[in-house]
Amino acid sequence: MPSISINIILAFTAALLGMLMFRSHMMSSLLCLEGMMLSMFILSTLIILNMQFTMSFIMPILLLVFAACEAAIGLALLVTVSNIYGLDHIQNLNLLQC
Amino acid sequence: MKLPILTIVMTTIFTGTMLTMISSHWLLIWIGLEINMLSIIPILTKNQKPRSTEAATKYFLTQATASMLLMFTIVFNAMHSGQWTTTNIDPNNMIVSLTMIIALTMKLGMTPFHFWVPEVTQGVSLMTGMLLLTWQKLAPISIMMQMFTSINSIILLLIALMSVLVGGWGGLNQTQLRKILAYSSIAHMGWMMAILTFCPSLTMLNLLIYLMLTIIMFTMLNMNTNTTTLTLSNLWNKSPTITMMILISLLSLGGLPPLTGFLPKWVIIQELTKNNNIAMATVMAIMALLNLYFYMRLIYSTSLTLFPTPNNIKMKWQFQPKKRSLFLSPLIILSTLTLPLSPVFSTLN
Repeated sequence: MPSISINIILAFTAALLGMLMFRSHMMSSLLCLEGMMLSMFILSTLIILNMQFTMSFIMPILLLVFAACEAAIGLALLVTVSNIYGLDHIQNLNLLQC
Repeated sequence: MKLPILTIVMTTIFTGTMLTMISSHWLLIWIGLEINMLSIIPILTKNQKPRSTEAATKYFLTQATASMLLMFTIVFNAMHSGQWTTTNIDPNNMIVSLTMIIALTMKLGMTPFHFWVPEVTQGVSLMTGMLLLTWQKLAPISIMMQMFTSINSIILLLIALMSVLVGGWGGLNQTQLRKILAYSSIAHMGWMMAILTFCPSLTMLNLLIYLMLTIIMFTMLNMNTNTTTLTLSNLWNKSPTITMMILISLLSLGGLPPLTGFLPKWVIIQELTKNNNIAMATVMAIMALLNLYFYMRLIYSTSLTLFPTPNNIKMKWQFQPKKRSLFLSPLIILSTLTLPLSPVFSTLN
């Protein structure tokens, strides 16, 4: 595996671990989601260019489109949560616990 | 929510699932899952309450993480094999098979990642909960059925066993009907995934019967908006027929022999035993008793005890429920009385 792929996979892993472990602000979780999405964008662009998948050149663009949609929904939820609770701490979301 | 918006959102949910089901290219499958996940969020936040907002946030965060993991698996697999089709997942590549199973089970809400299921179902209304526990399961299960030959079966069996365990133990202390149904959904997912690598047509059969039973349970609960054991216990003086049908459907969901719910459990246990997997079948059958126990507790408090009530509650029978639901009686008959059809399924395989 070339070192740039390893680098980007490490970036993805760091963003995933941040999503799973660092649970203070909802904003940071959304940023971690974006980090995962962008590292996947770069990785897919790289492998498509390296392996000459000419049919798949549209794929990174589609990925970016859905990243934008997901970020929009995430920010809408962030706005609603901070309207209701006053701040965006994830540990405040505890109304529904068993 | 206004009718045109609701129509557009429901059409988008339908389109997402259909896109996932009919495509064999990983990118289109991922796009279908993503469309489906993004368009269910407005349905979840239909009532602007803190509970439903919280439910939508939890649902969004888990599902977005799961679809990112799925994307990682897709790109990683393409990097190694140069393929984009669903059947070309390499089962010997540990990273690919592990992250694939993790992503799909997170989407389905199976055990190591099941914590969102009861909470999200508790936070939304009954009809939305029905959509969440039935329609949202279709897309991940269809992916799993497309690639079942290349799934690492040991990990999948382990996850299935843990789901059956948690689905049994988790519902024991609940009084909220939606949480009980969510735990029963986790247990049923465990049964489906346990048989997937041996005989995928039985997964399909179990999925169909589970869908029927869940739809009928949620529809009947929605007729009088029952969400707790207490309101279910006070239902007898309002509509005794519906109460009885709810109880029979609960027994069928638990898998008691003369009812339909017994059929998938029966054939799954038979198939597991044929494949020399006796210990797994035994543990799953015993854990189904736990499920049956908490359904029996609902039945006991509804039919055999009389909760203290004000005197005028006995006059509620004269107010008929306003909510009508289509196909209620055929669905009840299908979901309780089709066990005699079981010889048909011996021709499946």
